[in-house]
Amino acid sequence: MKFKINRDHFANGLAQVLNVVGSKATMPILSNVLIEAEKDQISLTTTNLDLGIRCRIKAEVKETGAVTLPVKRLAGIVRELPNLDVTFDASPNHSVKLTSGGSTFRIMGIGKDEFPPLPEFGDEKAYALEQSELADMLKSVAYAQSSDETRYILNGVYFNFRDGKLSLVATDGRRLAMVSKEMEVPASSAGAIILPAKTVSELTRLLDKGTKARINFNDRRAAFQIATDKDTSGLVDHVYLYSKVVEGNYPNYQQVIPKETHQRIKLERELLLQCVHRAALVCSEKSNSIKIKLSSNLLEITAQSPDFGEAHESMAIGYSGPDLQVAFNPQFLMDPLRALAKDEVFFEVKDEVSPGVFKTLENFVCVIMPVRLS
Amino acid sequence: MALVAARLSNPVTTPALPIIVHLDADAFFVSCELALQPELRGRKCAVGGRERGIISSASYEARACGVYTPMPTQRALKVCPDLIMLPHTSGLYSKVSRQMFDLCETLTPIVQRNSIDEGYLDLGPCGLSTTIELEERVRGLQRRLWDELQIPVSMGLAANKLVAQIASKLRKPRGFVIVPPGTEEEFLAPLPLGKLPGIGAKTEASLGAKHGLKFVRDITARSEGELQRIFGDSWPDMLATARGQDCRPVETDRDDAKSYSQQETFFTDIGDFAEIERVAKRMVDELLPKVRADGKRVRTITIKVRYPDFTQESHGRSLDTASDLESPFYPLIAPLLRVAWKKPRPLRLISVKFSGVDDGPAQLEMFAQTDEKRRRLAGVLDQLNRRAGDHVVQHGHQLAKRSAAS
Repeated sequence: MKFKINRDHFANGLAQVLNVVGSKATMPILSNVLIEAEKDQISLTTTNLDLGIRCRIKAEVKETGAVTLPVKRLAGIVRELPNLDVTFDASPNHSVKLTSGGSTFRIMGIGKDEFPPLPEFGDEKAYALEQSELADMLKSVAYAQSSDETRYILNGVYFNFRDGKLSLVATDGRRLAMVSKEMEVPASSAGAIILPAKTVSELTRLLDKGTKARINFNDRRAAFQIATDKDTSGLVDHVYLYSKVVEGNYPNYQQVIPKETHQRIKLERELLLQCVHRAALVCSEKSNSIKIKLSSNLLEITAQSPDFGEAHESMAIGYSGPDLQVAFNPQFLMDPLRALAKDEVFFEVKDEVSPGVFKTLENFVCVIMPVRLS
Repeated sequence: MALVAARLSNPVTTPALPIIVHLDADAFFVSCELALQPELRGRKCAVGGRERGIISSASYEARACGVYTPMPTQRALKVCPDLIMLPHTSGLYSKVSRQMFDLCETLTPIVQRNSIDEGYLDLGPCGLSTTIELEERVRGLQRRLWDELQIPVSMGLAANKLVAQIASKLRKPRGFVIVPPGTEEEFLAPLPLGKLPGIGAKTEASLGAKHGLKFVRDITARSEGELQRIFGDSWPDMLATARGQDCRPVETDRDDAKSYSQQETFFTDIGDFAEIERVAKRMVDELLPKVRADGKRVRTITIKVRYPDFTQESHGRSLDTASDLESPFYPLIAPLLRVAWKKPRPLRLISVKFSGVDDGPAQLEMFAQTDEKRRRLAGVLDQLNRRAGDHVVQHGHQLAKRSAAS
């Protein structure tokens, strides 16, 4: 196996697959990247058995073949090579000679036979999506995923293709974010999966390579084909991402989204974010809440921690409902405000023990449970 | 909050009178029992588990024979064969303790209940102007505690908690020691180092052997450089202690339990895992109602096991967020027990402790209908058990396994 490749293209390709490695103790080969040379491109594949990524880069292939090499160290070396021209030469005993300008590296590899192949997909449920739109949708809900391993069902983003729309939902049991987009969902293809958090972060990272992305899924696994037509650093065809899904029943999130609106206020997103952020500067781990107080045309935010001090912020708003106050974890308010792009958001509240709800005009809702003050 | 604010606005100044009182009940558990059985007064008695337990309190007559706490009962009976062993009376000590501190609160509102049998009083709000007046009041309290509850106590009066505490322990039982403000250093100077809080027998011995430090005055006599070499970075604290300086306020927030715990010494050692797990679960069932009654939540559970040779091991785990329900703790019991109980030997004691007490704002949950139901159920059970005495309603796992015969 022998090929010539552009250093920056090679480094870019390795960067796409670098994050997915398995534990070294159980299967050493999972720390390696599978490099396969075919015709005028090479493909790079990594997997941790739950998640796998494959990309293709153009290369001048002189001799086809395959080998696996430790991906982290290989990427570190390729990035630092002195010359743009790199030749890669693997001998039958899996040792690889890497040459660039005056540098030569010999790296010990492992044969491809032990490398677990990425499952390819047949005719499962399939949808075509816009990369930029999916990226925005993921960004507007991903922060609400749970990182508590004991609630593994919540350690991911729920993709629900049903009733003429795709809804993405994430929740950690204290706040829930949901965003929807209308699309054609044939009854036969309706279905839902929980995409694991790690996959969500890899997918989000990959979603700027081109215009289209395609998702295939069944009950146990999902795959994305991410077009690379906008990439100028050697990626060709598409990036393929394979993932197991979180198996289990996602909680009935519809029931926690309030059906009625009690008090609704329109807010300038940036301004509210800044006020909450400033007020939260006095919060401490022990008293991690801020109080929102509504009165006639006035929104006040207060925060205090007994051993530090207190903060008071006020904002003029349009409000004529009854006076009320409710406390929240400031992070739960800031996360959606940061993730959204619109200038205006709607905030709905009812009383001190009912959730606060952020909405935009574009099918976004974020439900936040309050903090009950003792 | 109010206390903190007051402290910030008034920088701590040494009061002119010894207004801080440390009250320390003498042989408290025994005293409580003797109040019920006065005919035993003057005899060698101790409270503790008879067969397998340890002495938790011994009368001064018993102490004179070499009985101390904590000492295994068997050994105590060897050094003092005519020792009268009194079993623990459930509920008595906390009741008497409450009555004792309630009496203290008739003297001043600032009473810190430090433990079941000792606490601090701040007589600052009493508006007394002379030490004589002050002494009269505190002696009056000491008398009342004896007259009304038959509990002998020792009192230490000083300008701060540190010195008051050392003073109260100096002439037990029924001690009454006043350290006039300004004479703290003089008062502490001749005392052995072990009288200072934080210096145990081992430290005392090693300070004496290695550095020739035997009395408190040996510390104040040394230069700063020497002290730094001996005590490391904490030398300024050590020096302040030796000089009798302390500015901690008497804190009244007695509800601020730091932890909830329970332990049980078995009648015979138990080697059966299921049986030990059952005992631990029962402790959880008994402790959580107290947590709920205090309106708190707890985060960490620690299980301690003790082997027949008194070696012990403990392990703890914390929940993601504090809870006032039993259910999140049940699944932790068996795994914790397995980690703590490694040696292939039966156990003589097990204890369960809840810490990480939280009463701050509570983050509400979305999918918590089950928890809310459980909380309502727990509330009803707590009420039933309170009204009709303990354990009217129990969890199934508290029932002992039926023997094969039945």
